[in-house]
Amino acid sequence: MAKGMFVDTSICTGCKACQVACKEWNALPHEPGHFRFDPVEKRPVAVNFTGDSYDNTGALGATDWRRVRFIEQFSEDRSRGRWLFSSDSCKHCNDAGCLNACPTGAIVRTGLGNVFIQQDVCIGCKYCIPSCPYGVISLSEATGTVHKCTLCNDRIHNGLGTACAKACPTGSISFGEVAELRKAADKRLAQLKSLGHAEANIYGYKEAGGLNVFYLFLDRPQVYGQTESVVVPQKRLPVSSAVAIAGALALGGAALVSFRERGSRETDEEVKK
Amino acid sequence: MNPEVHMPGWEWYYVAMYFFIAGISAGAYFIGTLAELFGDDRHREISRTGFYIAFPLILLTPPLLIADLGRPERFWHLLFHAKSGIPYMNFQSPLSVGSWALLLFGTMAFLSFLDNLVSEGKLQSAPFAKAYSRIPRKWYAVVGSIAGFFVAGYTGVILNITARPFWAATNPLVGALFIASAASSGAAAIYLVMAWRKKLTDPGLPGFDLFDRLAKILELFLAVAMVVLAGKYAAPLMKGITAVMFWGGAVLLGIVLPLAAGWYATRTAGSPIPAERLATVLAVLVLVGSVLLRISMVHAGQVQ
Repeated sequence: MAKGMFVDTSICTGCKACQVACKEWNALPHEPGHFRFDPVEKRPVAVNFTGDSYDNTGALGATDWRRVRFIEQFSEDRSRGRWLFSSDSCKHCNDAGCLNACPTGAIVRTGLGNVFIQQDVCIGCKYCIPSCPYGVISLSEATGTVHKCTLCNDRIHNGLGTACAKACPTGSISFGEVAELRKAADKRLAQLKSLGHAEANIYGYKEAGGLNVFYLFLDRPQVYGQTESVVVPQKRLPVSSAVAIAGALALGGAALVSFRERGSRETDEEVKK
Repeated sequence: MNPEVHMPGWEWYYVAMYFFIAGISAGAYFIGTLAELFGDDRHREISRTGFYIAFPLILLTPPLLIADLGRPERFWHLLFHAKSGIPYMNFQSPLSVGSWALLLFGTMAFLSFLDNLVSEGKLQSAPFAKAYSRIPRKWYAVVGSIAGFFVAGYTGVILNITARPFWAATNPLVGALFIASAASSGAAAIYLVMAWRKKLTDPGLPGFDLFDRLAKILELFLAVAMVVLAGKYAAPLMKGITAVMFWGGAVLLGIVLPLAAGWYATRTAGSPIPAERLATVLAVLVLVGSVLLRISMVHAGQVQ
């Protein structure tokens, strides 16, 4: 049975405990691009101010497997407004673009449904990076391989939940059987709707074959930076291949016309001369 | 289209150069085969030149591909599964199938190259000739050409089968565009080598010239159709250095100018072959346009 996470963003407070827990459990280093050596101070200083509210990661990647997004919705005069928070990560898609794209079999799905990159197999070809429709994976210069959230592969195969879910102080992130989580999500959605949150919706039931890590949002998914029309790239493969083959056949036809027809006509002319 | 989709960080001097060189090699090889299949004795020199070009060029490409890997020493994982050691292919991944196609193409290009040396008397007999001498050379030229079309085209399909907005929006045309460009650049390489070997009196040239023009017309059509199809996602091709490379280099220098000059020369001189020096310059321009096409396409998918 697939394990996953349900992220109820309506009770997230943006505390980033999940980000910290993820870094600690998975021993993830700081993002190299977020620091530079200051020649005056003679030590590395942080330069990772995203300018985007309290977001300190800016993107998911090889060293940031969790990212708390901050969405500020305020009226022009700031008299009315609200904050939206959402803790984002790899969604462990059932139809995973990265896994489909991997040419070495380094990316696998384990028996618990999570998508896992085998570090000793990855060659760093980087094809999975643009193949993820959510921008989750990136290359680590330190290892020469790609990294992303493993759904705490080591923990979940030993009966524990994910580190982020364990650390979450509000219960916004819950770990468990996907089927069970969906039941809880539906219940919570009905509750929110009855309280007047008409825009509330669940993201991840049908996207990319169903997401094992799915979300309850209070506004449209786009507002939270989640694409509303996800296309798993490999869906384009049949048509793309067919057009390439048609191109090859067209050239074959051109060669037939050029080398056979044209050739024989020239011969005739030469013979006449 | 999600702008948050990450860029792979494929370097133009590895990946785009690989696309370019593999394109010339594959193009020269399938032109050689097509000339041999559909042509006659007069096309012998064209097909021979194509086979001479294909093998040395394809030898240059694996180092480029391997150099772009994060872990170059593990390149063999592309062909053999790292844990079990058995041959491995992922049919959903053009990169995986393409690695095998490249190996197959390289092997066939090697055999055809040896054939050439033997038939020109530069080798007494090919090494391992006994192993394959019973197979008619047309057969492995056909297998190699199919692999060659694959090598030329999968490089474009790779770009289309991603979630990067520009590459996804140009689906499904880039594979066919790269095949047409491979034909055009392969023909240019054949022409240049024939000029260098002083074989331009070859009677097969008019047919070759026609094929070259048809390939360029197809390439032009696909390039324009691709931009129209991509609509607003074609924006990276419309500004800065990428626009100069694509429109000025790939389209104008690489396709339009050679087509127009060839057509003009035909009109004025009455011969289907443009004057030798002009044709040499045009062939160089075609190669320049071809490399700029690959660089601009790889680059346009990797800018915000």
